[in-house]
Amino acid sequence: MKKTIAACIAATFAVNTVSTAIAEEAFMAPLVEQSVLLDIDADKYVVIVGERGHVLISENGSDFNQKQVPTQSTLTATTVVGSNIWAVGHDATIIHSSDKGESWEVQQYQPDLQRPFLDVLFFDEEHGIAAGAYGLFYRTLDGGKTWSAERHASLLDPYDREYLEEIRKEDEAFYQQELESILPHINRITLDNDTLYLAGEAGLLAKSDDFGKSWQRYSVDYTGSFFDIKPLDDETVLAVGLRGNMFVSRESSSWEYIQTCSTSTLNSILISSDSEVYALGNNGKMVKATRPIPTSMRDPYANPTDCKPGEGISVSQIDDKAAILNAKQFKGLNIAVSANGVKTLNLK
Amino acid sequence: MTHFLEKLVFSNRKVVVALFAIATVFLGYQASQMRLDAGFEKNIPLNHEYMQTYIEHRQDFGGANNILVSVCDKNDNIFNKNFFDTFKNVHDQLFFINGVNRSLVISLFSPSTRFTEIVEGGFAGGPVIPADFNSSNPEALELVAANIEKANIVGRQVSSDYSCAMVTAQLLDIDPQTGEPLDTLALAAELEEQLRGQYENEQTSIHIIGFAKMIGDVANGAKDVLVFFAIAIAITAIMVYFFSRSIMLTVLPLLCSVIAVIWQLGLLTSIGFGMDPMSILVPFLVFAIGVSHGVQMINAVEKQAVKGIGAKQASMAAFRSLLVPGGIALLSDTVGFMTLLVIDIGIIRELAITASMGVAVIILTNLLLLPVLMSFLKLDERYVEKFAGKEKSNSKFWDMIAACSRKKPAAIILTITAILFVFGHFQAQKMKIGDLHAGAPALHEDSRYNQDTFLITDKYEVTVDYISILVETTPEACTSHNVMKAMDDFQWKMENVDGVQSAVSLASVAKIVNAGYNEGNVKWQVIPRNQQTLVQAISRVPTSSGLLNGDCSVMPIILFMEDHKAETISRVVDAVKDYRSDYETDDMKFSLASGPVGVMAATNEAVSEAQDPMMLYVFGAVIALCLISFRSIRATLVVVIPLYVVSVLAQALMTYLQIGLTVSTLPVIALGVGIGVDYGIYILSTKSLMLKQGATVQEAYFAALKERGSAVLFTGVTLAIGVSTWVFSSLKFQMDMGILLTFMFVVNMLGAIIVLPALARFLWWNKNDPNA
Repeated sequence: MKKTIAACIAATFAVNTVSTAIAEEAFMAPLVEQSVLLDIDADKYVVIVGERGHVLISENGSDFNQKQVPTQSTLTATTVVGSNIWAVGHDATIIHSSDKGESWEVQQYQPDLQRPFLDVLFFDEEHGIAAGAYGLFYRTLDGGKTWSAERHASLLDPYDREYLEEIRKEDEAFYQQELESILPHINRITLDNDTLYLAGEAGLLAKSDDFGKSWQRYSVDYTGSFFDIKPLDDETVLAVGLRGNMFVSRESSSWEYIQTCSTSTLNSILISSDSEVYALGNNGKMVKATRPIPTSMRDPYANPTDCKPGEGISVSQIDDKAAILNAKQFKGLNIAVSANGVKTLNLK
Repeated sequence: MTHFLEKLVFSNRKVVVALFAIATVFLGYQASQMRLDAGFEKNIPLNHEYMQTYIEHRQDFGGANNILVSVCDKNDNIFNKNFFDTFKNVHDQLFFINGVNRSLVISLFSPSTRFTEIVEGGFAGGPVIPADFNSSNPEALELVAANIEKANIVGRQVSSDYSCAMVTAQLLDIDPQTGEPLDTLALAAELEEQLRGQYENEQTSIHIIGFAKMIGDVANGAKDVLVFFAIAIAITAIMVYFFSRSIMLTVLPLLCSVIAVIWQLGLLTSIGFGMDPMSILVPFLVFAIGVSHGVQMINAVEKQAVKGIGAKQASMAAFRSLLVPGGIALLSDTVGFMTLLVIDIGIIRELAITASMGVAVIILTNLLLLPVLMSFLKLDERYVEKFAGKEKSNSKFWDMIAACSRKKPAAIILTITAILFVFGHFQAQKMKIGDLHAGAPALHEDSRYNQDTFLITDKYEVTVDYISILVETTPEACTSHNVMKAMDDFQWKMENVDGVQSAVSLASVAKIVNAGYNEGNVKWQVIPRNQQTLVQAISRVPTSSGLLNGDCSVMPIILFMEDHKAETISRVVDAVKDYRSDYETDDMKFSLASGPVGVMAATNEAVSEAQDPMMLYVFGAVIALCLISFRSIRATLVVVIPLYVVSVLAQALMTYLQIGLTVSTLPVIALGVGIGVDYGIYILSTKSLMLKQGATVQEAYFAALKERGSAVLFTGVTLAIGVSTWVFSSLKFQMDMGILLTFMFVVNMLGAIIVLPALARFLWWNKNDPNA
């Protein structure tokens, strides 16, 4: 184990690239609230980001204003710390505002990398990480003025890791090259107290106790992708992903399957109350699970015919069946972002 | 010249009648072969810039002439055996209707309707309705329901509330069986019989829209025109009887006018034309103009007969006095209608030919045949007395009207006319181009067709109202990130234009496919920068999708519109012209336009461009003929000014009634001028003769009123009553025309007997009665 952790920290590169000045400005669109919106975060105000560099800010959760931002790249994730907002996305773009979204600067823009960031997380106003496709992992210690790239081989499954270690003994450069191409997509990183949880491609679920410097990959008996992971309480962690699969881990024991009988991919977890949790996904599906969440011995790959959801599990669908990407509670509202724009969910 | 003709005609009366009889029998036979004939392309300005683009790419992307058939379950849920069985039958039936492009019949049952889903190993997919589909198996229906969702066709092929499903088809321009242009009306009848007739019942309703169906419904409605035609003839007959107090004098002018119509229809058939449903009113116009001249003729004969000179002499005198003014009036109508030929839209050209031919024929039937026929009448003492009595009572009435040419009344009349003109001009400026309402403007809002249109617009996200912007670029351009990004950005800007409901292009589909390749993760819904990845995404979009041609050098961006109102179209077209300049390069052009709304955009532009030249030509023709015949600028002015005021007021009326200027309403102003000019010329011909002989304006006017006034007044009122019955027509189009023509008949008549003398009072300032 120690050996692995050491290996993970190893791959760190200083990067600070805002390649070519970009003259792009987001198009202020009347239909922005109905565009493809991909992430939402809320603190004292709500921030929503989406395709074509769309950034929306709301003070009350119902009236949204599009902000002028210096990018047209699709933004996939956002995070709010006080009056600071970071948004990340395609073309390895990172943009930042320190005044609640009024003015913006580009901190990273590398279209030639051909990789998107898929999530961003700040621990405070200075320290944060942005992660994305093919293990893309950037860290800043100065509020995003400088970003450095990291490669976390510890996110790989044991077989791949073993293979890479073999290579590394012979050729460090080739090792780095292989690592770069073999690392899985990082879809989500969640912070809970001082613990980080990570969900990613091909059955990747991991945990870090040192702010992501090193990771312990969970062993899950499933190789589909995960899109969100969230602790429900001190003992319970929930993960959701491809084709409606949900897994729960209790008291650090192995991950158990939850039978939903819905095959729509689940993108995000919304804890609506102490007793209920929602998993939101494609085709506008909302899977409600009442705690304690029932588990099942069923094979996650099985055909969903003749399937009965576990007790306390129910599936509903929003009217326009648009994929729901994420949702946040704000001032008593459940505000969601979807492929058809902003929605207020009625979770009754 | 007139004398020579008079002698020639009246000394060979029997020969003339015989010749006319033979011609009428022949042309009557031809007319009986007349068929209704409608075509999509006739309604299109084929040489317009947009239509050049449309024609150039029609092979790759299909035409704008399509048919949508929505099959709806009356219990609002399509997932039952009955529905799927019916729907399959409708699909197959439509497929086999002659004239349907079979490769482009699309519904749930077409093999090209496929779904894909993302599974752990990548993609899985298949036809939405599997080959072994059995509609009586509830599980099979459940599977289809799931596939429909996966195929992302809700709102397009299946209504958003799952109560209906759609079959769409494109129509061919050329009938593959005969090699002739497609018989649209036969196709429309087949749609009605074989789809709605067979499959609409208590459980299922069938809703059909598209140009072919619309014109078919118009043609069905146009059959009622015969009834209205009969009503108008009956009303006219009764009125003429009251005017002439003689059955023979009633029958003859009507007979001659009917002969004119028969000749017109016969000639049309002889030169190989059919009657377009939208031109169905032209025969009535010919009849109306014929009656107008016929009444002048019987009026003139009457006036002569009072002198006791006998029918033959009276007819000869009438012939002599009316040949020139009547001939000029009809000639200016003919030339006026001919000028419509300059408008490069097939259906308007047809109308120009139809109408001018009809009017030209009237010269023969009503100026020549009618007096000849009347000369055979025996006008006995009793008739002569009756006419004389009428003359006297009329004199008092005309005395009153003649006051219009006195200074004070004339000034008042001209002031009111000027105010009306200014007001009318202001309103006419606001006249809208194109269709102002959703649905088909030729049909009533509560017609089945328009109700079907509203249902489909309501239940689906797409309609027949779409416009394609064709991105013309270099071969393999779809593998270029820059090209696809430009298309995507342009499309998004267009989607944000008010009136655009949704949009689709290869770029927007490629984004969704790219998300598909990334496990259906919406965060990957972008145009990939990596060329291999982009190629991978695009390779899943077949050319049959209509989103790219064989080498992807041409790709349409299809904008689905909320409606096809003229304002909406011009807003969208303006936005295209505005935004495309941001993206166009030497190698990439965003060309307007294809799709039904693209055709409408071109038509609207052509119509609006044609409006001013058309007015110019029509008035040019009238002015030229007046100048030639009266040899007086003043005489020309007093005829043309009231006409012009009336045509401006007619445009104002169109604004007020929300009738847009379209291919079908464009000629109405020209037709109105044609009707109006007759009145003015008849009044003026007597008047100008008197003025030349040294009479004062007042004397000349009184004489003109006495001689021609009653016929003018009578014709205006009679024809107005006849056409006003059209407001009860089942065609909205005919109703609109009825209102407009009623207005033109009445107001032109008032212009000729009130405004014309008032103008004359001031134009011939030196010829006034010192007391007036």
